[in-house]
Amino acid sequence: MTIDRRSFLIGASLLSLTTACGSSGSSSSSLKIGASLPLTGPAADVADPGYKGYQVWQSQINARGGLLGRKVEFVIHDDGFDQNTVVSNYNRLITQDRVDLLIGTFSSFLNLAASTVADRNRMLYIEPSGGAAEIFTRGHTRLFFSQPGTTDSAHRPFAGYVEGLADKPASAAYLYQDDPSTDMPIQNLQKVLEGLGVKTVYQQKYPPDTKNFDAIANAIRQAGPALLAHGALEVDGVAVVQALQRVGFTPQHLYQTRAPSSVNTYPKGIGETNTEAIFTVGSWHPAAKYPGNAEFVADYRKQFNQEPSEDAANSYTAVQVLQAGVQAVGKLDQDAIAAWLHANTVNTIVGPLKWDARGVPDGSLLLMQWQRGKLEVVAPASAATVTSAIAAKPSWAA
Amino acid sequence: MQAVLFGLLVGGVYALASSGLTLIFGVMRIVNLTHGAVLVAGAFLTYTICTATGLDPFVTIPVVGAVLFCLGWLIHRLVVQRAEHGGEGTVILSTLALAMVLEGVTILIWGQEPHTVATSYSRTSFRLGDLVFPTTQVYGSACALVLLAALYVLLNRTWLGRAVRAATANPQGAELVGIRVERVNVAAFSLGVALTGAAGAILAVLSPFTPDSGEQWIGLGLAIVVLGGMGSLGGALIGALVLGVAETLTATYGSPGWATAMPFAVIVLTLLLRPQGIFGIRVREDVVSA
Repeated sequence: MTIDRRSFLIGASLLSLTTACGSSGSSSSSLKIGASLPLTGPAADVADPGYKGYQVWQSQINARGGLLGRKVEFVIHDDGFDQNTVVSNYNRLITQDRVDLLIGTFSSFLNLAASTVADRNRMLYIEPSGGAAEIFTRGHTRLFFSQPGTTDSAHRPFAGYVEGLADKPASAAYLYQDDPSTDMPIQNLQKVLEGLGVKTVYQQKYPPDTKNFDAIANAIRQAGPALLAHGALEVDGVAVVQALQRVGFTPQHLYQTRAPSSVNTYPKGIGETNTEAIFTVGSWHPAAKYPGNAEFVADYRKQFNQEPSEDAANSYTAVQVLQAGVQAVGKLDQDAIAAWLHANTVNTIVGPLKWDARGVPDGSLLLMQWQRGKLEVVAPASAATVTSAIAAKPSWAA
Repeated sequence: MQAVLFGLLVGGVYALASSGLTLIFGVMRIVNLTHGAVLVAGAFLTYTICTATGLDPFVTIPVVGAVLFCLGWLIHRLVVQRAEHGGEGTVILSTLALAMVLEGVTILIWGQEPHTVATSYSRTSFRLGDLVFPTTQVYGSACALVLLAALYVLLNRTWLGRAVRAATANPQGAELVGIRVERVNVAAFSLGVALTGAAGAILAVLSPFTPDSGEQWIGLGLAIVVLGGMGSLGGALIGALVLGVAETLTATYGSPGWATAMPFAVIVLTLLLRPQGIFGIRVREDVVSA
């Protein structure tokens, strides 16, 4: 097979166009913050609002004169949710783009690899997502997780809710995507609920590229659990509920990770009235009274003409933490910023954050539930936006 | 029994989704890697039409098919026809590159967020005893079978169909009897893309989709085409039903992990044990291309 000159030139032009699209322009005086995001691939629906969260912060900080008096510029590369690409992208950000600071990416899968690159280059790494336990056991001292809880503790709010029920569910089904951020919270929840006497009647793990959930939904229907705990990311959360609706099975209690937090797409996918009483756990709520949160929500709506999601809030929080550290230290000294963050509490839109030596925050995630078409905070009481949870899920509406 | 039923229902849609791939391969001997991107484009187009007009998604199939037919014609004229001079490898790589471009364009138009096409019957089912027949699956499968039947009639009862079959069997011989094979190729390619887009319209009703959802369908489509026999429409139908049932049985009684790996296992096993597939015929290449 031969390639003629014209084909070569077209290919070369496309390649350079693609490369140009992958990063923003730069100017020598600006302060460059680099990240690799899965803007294409299976986590693109998460990375897109995440990138927008970074952009809202960028607009705000530049409107106030920048960081350390320099305009902030993001250098973003797309990794297509590939671990090899995320590693090469962060190496490229450090060695070729020569960014001043790094910021994390999305998912434990990518952050695990990306944080290693940052650590090898002795650079600060604040991650907006990626709370899998294995990320925090490698002795990294410049790593910080910018959500109030990790995957290890994500099951606690809902487990605590079930524990407090006078009429506990007799049986439960556990379904989860094969992903570090979804399997552990559900497996931990299963252990706790089994300890409370809740009988396991179904348990299944499925790969991320599963597209047909009818057989799984039917198996759950046949098992007939009172409670269904589903470790979902985004699309699979909607697809499983749609399949349950088709087979006509409504569990008395339905708990899903992540997916129900997508306030723009989840209600459209499963039907607005059908969201009623579905539980989820999350790090952020748009009505939370933490400093800066109302401004973030307003600016996000203004800039993108849509509601901010939890992913957008998480990335915004990550750069808030970065900003606090840089401004407190007053210079771009990665070790000094890390030391300051280890010693201080940072006020963010997800509440005050303080970290242990591993970079794990000492807070707790919020237990949320859809009530009358809105995602409300049920627990802890200090952050609750409603007085009580709806105990039993109504049947699916047609 | 319920698992078999689910498998047959989804298999009908799989058959339509892979019919475009097998038609294009049968006529042109190329694997069209824009298949998944076109499928998703059909789904997004359906979403836009339904949102703007309130039409039932199944009613939009002729419009989606027509638009995708035009897209297929453009792809053939602008990319495939030009890449053909470089051989089959160049065509395959060109369609792969174009698939990426199409995905990028889809992202630019519709964004990254998951989309769903909801109907008044999306959450309803027919019931027969303990058996559940989800309404959307039944309608989707019925639509797919009607379109496949129409394709069968087109290929077997019309002049165009005879020309397509002649060009498939022996392009040089077809040229000798006055068939303009190049035009047949354009028509077959455009028709294949239109069928894939129509399948996208049906899939839009069955599950949520994102711009990169098409990647999941490439493996499945190829498995169906290889199992049924490359270029065989009947083979694609049987292959799709077999894979649909195998997938749901595996997910029910085994593991969903094995269900998603199954298409790739089918490709390998078929190529090792019966390379021509269920309905494929071993041909003497020296005679055909003489």
